[in-house]
Amino acid sequence: MGIIFFAVFGILCGLVLAYAAKKFAVKVDPKIEAVRACLPGAN
Amino acid sequence: MQISRFLVISGLVCAILLMGVVGSATADTVGAGSFKKDKGMEISFGVPVDKNWAENLSNFLVYEKPDPDIRIPIHSVVLDTRRVAATLTFKDSLNTSAEYVVEAKDVTSDGKILGSHQFLVKKGQAQVLFAILLGAMLINNFVFTKYLGLCIFFGVSQKKETAIGMGITFTIVIVLSATMCWALYSYVLQALHLDFLKIIVFIGTVAIFVQAVDTILRKVNPYLFKKLGVYLVLIVTNCIILAVPLINADSGHGPFSSLTLGLGAGIGFALALFLMSCVREKLEVCRVPPTFHGLPIAFIVTGLFALAFLGFSGLSIF
Repeated sequence: MGIIFFAVFGILCGLVLAYAAKKFAVKVDPKIEAVRACLPGAN
Repeated sequence: MQISRFLVISGLVCAILLMGVVGSATADTVGAGSFKKDKGMEISFGVPVDKNWAENLSNFLVYEKPDPDIRIPIHSVVLDTRRVAATLTFKDSLNTSAEYVVEAKDVTSDGKILGSHQFLVKKGQAQVLFAILLGAMLINNFVFTKYLGLCIFFGVSQKKETAIGMGITFTIVIVLSATMCWALYSYVLQALHLDFLKIIVFIGTVAIFVQAVDTILRKVNPYLFKKLGVYLVLIVTNCIILAVPLINADSGHGPFSSLTLGLGAGIGFALALFLMSCVREKLEVCRVPPTFHGLPIAFIVTGLFALAFLGFSGLSIF
């Protein structure tokens, strides 16, 4: 019973969080990552 | 503008949670009474009762709710002029934080016996809640008297604006998670006899809210998000945020008490952060001995704050 409840609860919360992440998504310019990947990253 | 939208959303979520909680609160079926000074209590009957009956002390039985066998000796019973309310005076002072039961045997009104009545005498809900709020905020401030949550406390108290941002974010998370944890604990964990899982469930619940705040804050206020940095995620492992649901679970707090304890702890933490950040901004321009530069002097200041907060101990308004 407990296992079922927490599984359902976890899945529900996960779905809500996934939806929130999509809704509040921040556009990150892919160029920033691409340029950073080219740099040595020493600092 | 954007912060206000964030606050409105959180406020709405709080309100919805609260509404659910109000619906589940139950009413007492017995009559209620109230304390009067430290040696008396007042009970009121719905109808005028006989003076002879009311002044016979053997008609009243008074005991603390958990110990029905220990009777509390009554000194006198005085009926008011309309004969509806009686004031019971006791030989010894009462413990106003306990719950008392007054049993009135064979209540007599104009010669007719109406049967026995029971009265529950305790502090008003608002007084209890205020005491919890004040206790968590000042008297037992989690940072200054229990030394909990020091990681975030030292991490974000360098600047006033981050301190205020963290204080607000923390208060929202702790209020939401304290209420949610109360619901999960009393309706799921206790009902299914899974009390031993409480730490895991509480941490998971806190993590859900922190993840939500992280997602929303990233969009709504990127500046504050960047300033808070890793400490925003570290709220999950903050001791205060785990301590509050555990204290609630151990002391059997109801929904409102849980919410109030969370609110008090959150405001107390925000207050501590703000005070500390004010001092640390000034410390930046002070000539601190090199040995104490940075964190060591911050610890010393915290100690001084803790000493100052000792002044709140013993504070009681009701």
